[in-house]
Amino acid sequence: MFLTKMHLPRRTVLRGLGASLALPLLDSMVPALTAQTRTAAAPITRFGVFYVPNGMSMPYWYPKTEGALDQLPPTLRSLQGFKDKVLICGGLDDESANLVKGGGDHARSAGTFLTCVPYKMTNGADVSNAVSVDQIAARELEKETQIASLELGIESNAMVGNCDGGASCAYTNTIAWRTPTTPLPIENDPRAVFERLFGTSGSTDPVARLARMRRDRSILDLVNEELRGLERVVGPGDQVKLDEYVEAVRDIERRIAMAEEQNTRELPVVDQPVGVPSDYAEHAKLMMDLLALAYQTDLTRISTFMLAREVSGRAYPEIGVPDSHHPLSHHQDETAKLERLHKINEYHFQQFAYLVEKLDSLPEGDGSMLDSTLFLYGTGISDSNTHFHDDLPVALVGGKNAGLRGGHYVRYAQDTPLANLHVTILEKLGVPVEAFGDSTGPLNRLTDV
Amino acid sequence: MRRYDVSLAPSVVAGLMFAVMLGVYPMVAWAGQPEALSRELLDRYCVTCHNQRLQTGGLSLDGLDLSQVGTNAPVLEKVVHKLRSGQMPPAGRPRPAPEVVDTFATSLERALDRVAEMNPNPGRVSSRRLNRVEYVNVIEDLLGLEIDGEELLPSDMAGFGFDNNADVLSITPGLMARYIAAATKISRAVVGSPDTRPVMQLYEVGFERRDVRAGEDLPFATHGGIAVRHHFPLDGEYVFAIRLKRNDTIETIDGIAENEHQIEIRIDHALIQRFPIGGMFPGPDPGMLIAVPEDDVEGQRLHEYRMTADHALELRVPIEAGTRLLSVAFTDSAPSPHPSGQLPGIDKVFISGPFNGTVPDDTPTRRRIFTCRPSDQQEQTEEACARDIVTTLARRAYRRPVTTNDVESLLGIYREGRSERDFEFGIERMLEALLSMPQFLMRVERQPVDTRAGDIYRLSDLELATRLSFFLWRSIPDDELLELAERNELSDPETLTTQVRRMLADRRSTRFMDDFVGQWLQVRNLFSQDPDGALFAGFNDSLRKAMIRETEMFFRSQVRQDRPIQDLLRADYTFLNEQLARHYGVEDLYGSHFRRYTWDDDRRHGLLGHASLLTVTSYANRTSVVLRGLWVLEALLGAPPPPPPPNVPPLPESDRRQPTSLRERMEQHRSSPVCASCHTRMDPLGFAMEHFDAIGRWRESDGGAEIDATITLDGATIDSPRAFREALLASGDEYARTVTEKLMTYALGRGVDFYDAPIIRRIVRGLEADDFRWSSLVLGVVMSEPFLLRHAPVEDVLVAAQP
Repeated sequence: MFLTKMHLPRRTVLRGLGASLALPLLDSMVPALTAQTRTAAAPITRFGVFYVPNGMSMPYWYPKTEGALDQLPPTLRSLQGFKDKVLICGGLDDESANLVKGGGDHARSAGTFLTCVPYKMTNGADVSNAVSVDQIAARELEKETQIASLELGIESNAMVGNCDGGASCAYTNTIAWRTPTTPLPIENDPRAVFERLFGTSGSTDPVARLARMRRDRSILDLVNEELRGLERVVGPGDQVKLDEYVEAVRDIERRIAMAEEQNTRELPVVDQPVGVPSDYAEHAKLMMDLLALAYQTDLTRISTFMLAREVSGRAYPEIGVPDSHHPLSHHQDETAKLERLHKINEYHFQQFAYLVEKLDSLPEGDGSMLDSTLFLYGTGISDSNTHFHDDLPVALVGGKNAGLRGGHYVRYAQDTPLANLHVTILEKLGVPVEAFGDSTGPLNRLTDV
Repeated sequence: MRRYDVSLAPSVVAGLMFAVMLGVYPMVAWAGQPEALSRELLDRYCVTCHNQRLQTGGLSLDGLDLSQVGTNAPVLEKVVHKLRSGQMPPAGRPRPAPEVVDTFATSLERALDRVAEMNPNPGRVSSRRLNRVEYVNVIEDLLGLEIDGEELLPSDMAGFGFDNNADVLSITPGLMARYIAAATKISRAVVGSPDTRPVMQLYEVGFERRDVRAGEDLPFATHGGIAVRHHFPLDGEYVFAIRLKRNDTIETIDGIAENEHQIEIRIDHALIQRFPIGGMFPGPDPGMLIAVPEDDVEGQRLHEYRMTADHALELRVPIEAGTRLLSVAFTDSAPSPHPSGQLPGIDKVFISGPFNGTVPDDTPTRRRIFTCRPSDQQEQTEEACARDIVTTLARRAYRRPVTTNDVESLLGIYREGRSERDFEFGIERMLEALLSMPQFLMRVERQPVDTRAGDIYRLSDLELATRLSFFLWRSIPDDELLELAERNELSDPETLTTQVRRMLADRRSTRFMDDFVGQWLQVRNLFSQDPDGALFAGFNDSLRKAMIRETEMFFRSQVRQDRPIQDLLRADYTFLNEQLARHYGVEDLYGSHFRRYTWDDDRRHGLLGHASLLTVTSYANRTSVVLRGLWVLEALLGAPPPPPPPNVPPLPESDRRQPTSLRERMEQHRSSPVCASCHTRMDPLGFAMEHFDAIGRWRESDGGAEIDATITLDGATIDSPRAFREALLASGDEYARTVTEKLMTYALGRGVDFYDAPIIRRIVRGLEADDFRWSSLVLGVVMSEPFLLRHAPVEDVLVAAQP
């Protein structure tokens, strides 16, 4: 369940060298739960990215004028009541998408959205990209949480195969890259997400969780006793193996202790979901609820969420759009099609708005959880009819504690890299980097400070 | 220095003695004093490179004292191996005549064997955890529950080519968390806990043949679809949902435009529901490329149907708890694909539940664990029954008689559960604890009291039973083995022989056969192999499975019929189903089931004609003589070359306009001395298999160039698959040694080292006397010192083993 930090003693690695080791050595040798904390206290403690596919119905996205906004534009209007928490950034380009060698404009947009480097064009297992911005943050922030990051989505989580013009599905079906060669598959099954967060307790009910922890603890106590018994009868070589067992048990005990501490927070009682609901909105809401729970319990602070996979052909008859999303996005500038595409765009944004409102209602410190959370919402194509990767529709939401200039529309000069936004976000998270992808520096005018 | 305890030596001698008694390995008694080893060959052919100044390959032979065979055994075994496998001296250097090599190698072997006889070293296998395959098998044998290992546990890494390598099987925190979660889920499922939450399970069909019955578990007269064994944990309602295959980009449902089709769901062969699908809105879909125009209402309805019609394929039915066979398949006849469109296909099946579940009275798993039922609800009555249950389960799970402490500890957990809820919850908790215990998850071999560093000791009979059952059944011992071990009768050579034969005949031994052959021959890697669809349109998931199945069934039949190990390369038969037969160009063989087939010609005799390994040793778009040559050296001759030096560019792709044969391009390997040292050994072996393409079909030409698969090996011309097989088998004992080495590695769960070489030579000599039969190989390994004995570590156990 906590595989990201699998602990493998060096000795085992050395002895197993006759084998071909498929895992990246260094990663698997990172000791689990290194007790370190970030030195600087950053104003923003959580970061989430929400990605939508197939570009945007642009006439509905941008406000008419730059500067302070009275009304949010149509795509974002479900957050009108929270308009002061929304900053629309105009004019950012993802030039790296244009530099990928080979076709598949949809893969280019998702594949480079958070890495800002041209990835290696392939539909084989030899995918190669760069560490994505969320994962750079995760490597730092995971030190304080049980789970490094959550990658969530609604659709397919296949990582292999050809998904767009000869590009691997890894480039269309996730935006998170742990290492240049390790795309992180999204999880679309709410039950699996629930189990990852809350184990087999079956419910977030503190009583049920406590009971589960108490039962695990009594079994672990017994396991410890038995291990001591076994240690007396084995030779020194086997001692090492038993020590690993002891260490593993101790680690779980530490996690239980952490969880017990966090269990005092008030949580809504949620039962373990059955699986994937067939209704889109119901599915999305469930995933948003789980993400909120993960934040509330501080199980993780980093997430990416694909409201649909890139080049998705899903239809949305429930909102009066029976068309497949991708063909519809080639709207030929026809007003009716642009409007229907807008309906999908707005529908997606509504799912996200639900989470924003939810976090805003949860108190934390002097304000709400939303104040110390920064969301990036957007996509790697602007006008879907032409597949351009410039002037991308992106918005920042939340981030009050960092002084985010909410209720504004800020436009940047032509050719300003999207990567500059990522650099700035990392700075707000207290994980400063000198450069990222094709960045040329940080972005100004994002905050009032 | 190694030090042996004299007082323990008799047990070693006894170990060797019963081997003699059985005639399994005739001991070759070396008469008289050993003749002095001559340095002549080394000085003349080896020290030019392997001297103290150059240290080529980290080896210097000029200062080596041949009178100190014991001390120098690690180096000398390497010398023997390099000479016997013909790797040294390298091509292009002066080489001694084969008889000279043989004489020298034989004298070296004799000297090494003699030293090993006087100072035996059985090596030492570390304690290890169960691997995933073993865990799944144990749960089935212990509790009667089939589980999906891939869902519960991460995969295992391999060491020395096998994923049961003890050194690699460690417990990590992440894994421990998974084990505990698995224990909870399994104990709930087994008992039928009221805590069982409804869950949705997804079964993916993958590639589907719509024109044939998709498998033996599907009803006759069905086409395509899927059959799965699913565990229904409670009596209750379950929801089944079917999703059909969709167009990759538009995501409309395939094949429902023109005709109506029928899909039926069966549980344990009984018809539950028949669904009609398709044909409601015939005609072209106006929403395929661009959106349907606003005013085309009919078109919009049609498009919506194409997008969502399968949402209707859902039903909710009550089902009694237990593991049941679910099948979902088409029943309408599938004509040859309709010119105007494809056929619909089943993509996924979801099973959700239980809803409104109740604890079942009786299921096979409950029968298995509830060895008694309390007659009343008195605490004492219930506890007596719980004690009975714990004692029975723990003995099998721990693979030994239980102690008072074992039972009391688990009963403690039972009592917690009982006081929290009731008797059954107590049993569920106890089971959860049992499945988390180190005695269950780990295979730990005890060290006798007062053992000193360097001592050699016998495994107890119980430890032997566990080694045996995990070797041949990939699981825990059964009652018969345990009882024999408890009475200390198992290690009696005759009993041991009888038991090994019984175990091989038992159906559980197929687990060993499939697992061993899949890893030894690397055919398991076929699951991650993806031949280029544009070049190999015939390749798909069901063909992939058929290829692996062929190799598994062939290997099983060889072992079960106790054939000589050489028949693996020679046998004139195989196992085919219709799809694989067509792949091989065999006509007149129909249906999805596999049957024995005897070849008309000898091209495909033995393993080397199996598409599984021919595909696994190819690239996605072409064959690779290098990969195939490497495979032969590694899997059959036990002499893999070292990995290539860094920074060597791959061969350029062939220029389509100017066909060049692969052979011409491979000549580049010879032009560079760095490449040549290994490729002159690898490439010819691969060329000999060039008549088989990258998915194992026979061919006469490639990319316009005619195939030339003739090679020269040790001076002989090899121009047919038969000649190639025979040449490999004729290479001294190298093939037999390799098979023995692989089986030994697998049986022990550790890599073989220099001190195992004399034992392996002895087993091979024993095989010769018994026609190289599989049973004598398995017995040879089981009766060997490394399998029966254990070496207490000498000093620093942390030193990495010799490569």
